Amino acid sequence: MSAIHLQNLVKRFGPFTALRTMDLHIADGEFMALLGPSGCGKSTTMNMIAGMEEPSEGQILFGDRDMAGVPMGRRGVGFVFQNYAIFTHMTVRGNLSYGLRMRGAPKSEIDRRVGAVAELLQLTPLLHRKANRLSVNILQRVAIGRSAIMEPAIFLLDEPLSNVDAAFRAVMRTELKHLQREFKQTMVYVTHDQLEAMTMADRIAVMDHGVLQQVGAPLDVYNNPANLFVARFIGAPGMNLLPGRPAESDGGLVIDLGPLGISPPLPEGIAAVLRGSNGEVFYGFRPEQVTRSVDGRGLAMPVSFVERIGARTIVHLGEGERSVKAVFENDAGAVVGETLVLVPDAASVRVFDAGSGRAVMAEG
Amino acid sequence: MPLQPPSLQQSCQMKRSVPFELFRYAAILLALAITLVPILWMVSMAFKPIGEWSATGAELTWWPKEPTLNNFRFIFGESTSNLIVALDRTALKPILSSLLSAVFGTAIAMGAGTAAAYGLSRFGSGQNLPLALIQLRLFPPMAVMIPVMIMWAFLGLIDTWWGLALIYGIVTLPFAFWLMKTFFDDMPREIEEAALVEGCSRWRVFTRITLPMMRAPLASAALFVFILNWSDYLIALLLTTREWVTIPVYMASLSSSMTGQLYGAKAALGLIAAVPPVIMGIAIQRHLVRGLTFGALKQ
Ligand SMILES: Nc1ncnc2c1ncn2[C@@H]1O[C@H](COP(=O)(O)OP(=O)(O)OP(=O)(O)O)[C@@H](O)[C@H]1O
Ligand SMILES: [Mg+2]
Repeated sequence: MSAIHLQNLVKRFGPFTALRTMDLHIADGEFMALLGPSGCGKSTTMNMIAGMEEPSEGQILFGDRDMAGVPMGRRGVGFVFQNYAIFTHMTVRGNLSYGLRMRGAPKSEIDRRVGAVAELLQLTPLLHRKANRLSVNILQRVAIGRSAIMEPAIFLLDEPLSNVDAAFRAVMRTELKHLQREFKQTMVYVTHDQLEAMTMADRIAVMDHGVLQQVGAPLDVYNNPANLFVARFIGAPGMNLLPGRPAESDGGLVIDLGPLGISPPLPEGIAAVLRGSNGEVFYGFRPEQVTRSVDGRGLAMPVSFVERIGARTIVHLGEGERSVKAVFENDAGAVVGETLVLVPDAASVRVFDAGSGRAVMAEG
Repeated sequence: MPLQPPSLQQSCQMKRSVPFELFRYAAILLALAITLVPILWMVSMAFKPIGEWSATGAELTWWPKEPTLNNFRFIFGESTSNLIVALDRTALKPILSSLLSAVFGTAIAMGAGTAAAYGLSRFGSGQNLPLALIQLRLFPPMAVMIPVMIMWAFLGLIDTWWGLALIYGIVTLPFAFWLMKTFFDDMPREIEEAALVEGCSRWRVFTRITLPMMRAPLASAALFVFILNWSDYLIALLLTTREWVTIPVYMASLSSSMTGQLYGAKAALGLIAAVPPVIMGIAIQRHLVRGLTFGALKQ
């Protein structure tokens, strides 16, 4: 009953279209992350779900109830903002109990629920403190608690952790997930941090320039990006994409990568779809899913830069349009100027149509 | 003990030479003298007996030789010297007039200004208002005072404290509006939206969330407007005649045919007039500082 359906949602600000025909269905009790770069329309989508903005076109349904014209106070949603919107003239307790007092809940119940939420978010020792004397981390916890205490069936969080420090963010990721398991709300979580989306969400909706790019389970989006944007955006670093054209070789269908030679033979599923066409494509593979060639066959590229990040080493190879990154565990032993021969894992190879940007999917 | 890195402030501060420091303190002292000496002089005068302040009196001294409260007694109607006769009107009513007109004038300006500023800041209503209100301050007050006098006379508002309060409210409205608009613009909208999402009505958000959170800015704006109203001379001079003259107008009339200007009485009244703003300033001192740093919470 608290599923969210966005149907043909469009939002225009004057001549500017912030959101183009968005269709998204979020199941009851699902944790959905909206992921995308800055300005792609994530907040706009959330504000329309909460009722702060009216859609220019399309419908928003909670279950089978059309939300058009329902004011934000009546939608039964909880909202946590990026800028910890805290009532600084009240104590932590005053903030937490605000919504309940607003609805005239009996005092005993208010005390009980404030106690429970404070315990959950480790705010108990701070209940009597004035909110204007607290740290950012705590303020954001108070803001989350103030919404959670209403036990809303739909919980909207707009980049709630982007202002808090990194260590606390890791703690809150687990706590939020915990909170959602506990209350089983439908949760929509906006972020531009893919780690947050990947670790917490049941499904991710990737957006760019007001267009929904792909919806799917985190691993599915990571493994099978629907188009070039998602391929580049998801993953750190994103997918390697090399321009080329399909070509026949004795081993099977390959991609002719121009100066880089030819790719290893494509998996049969993709090859079957591509065979016969001669259009420009992008040959894609994950930086994490490459090995160094043992027999000298593969993509030979000069190392241009080596980045060591703790346990991992990111090796940059080639330049310009024909550059790739490779991630190795530990020290790869690569030296700038040296030529490495890389072999992408066959199962991780993806091909994208250069014209439409869409992934070439194996049929069946 | 581990080495402490130098704090930002320390490392940013330049080492200053001794002559420079001397010059700096001299400049501060001079500025202090310019502001404080006249006030000290007024305080001293207020407690001097007539012989020490009258134009005919002998020497002028820094401190009263025989401190007395006679000046205060005098302005409240007690004749204390055979040199000057008791006043036909005491300072009581002018003080009352000043208080009433300044307080209600401030209330009008703050009420209307806050409402208008909120409407513009949150809903974009009244786009022409900012400029229109600036226009109100563009030409010299004298240019409009004659028409205002005629209007006020027509409305029967001449020589009433409520007539004064009304014009004070109008004249200081631009300040109230502009100050409050800046403060509202600085207040994060999300705070109000958070309350709205939780089912609070617009009006309740304004009265229970916005206004309480704006206490500090409201207080500093109100003090500013009050001081403007409290120290007005020109408008009160033109719009009051006898019954409801304010402190500054009454003060100007403090003279006698025998002794000329009654400096001691003026100083005593001036001291009384300084009390309300000082009390208000101290009362909201905490808010004044907060008013200036409001919005620091948002990043
Ligand atoms: N009230 C408005 N009037 C005009 N344009 C707006 C308005 N609100 C948002 N926009 C524009 O719509 C686009 C999408 O904005 P939105 O706030 O939804 O982005 P976002 O995905 O939340 O970005 P971020 O990660 O920076 O928060 C932006 O280009 C923004 O400038
Ligand atoms: Mg946003």
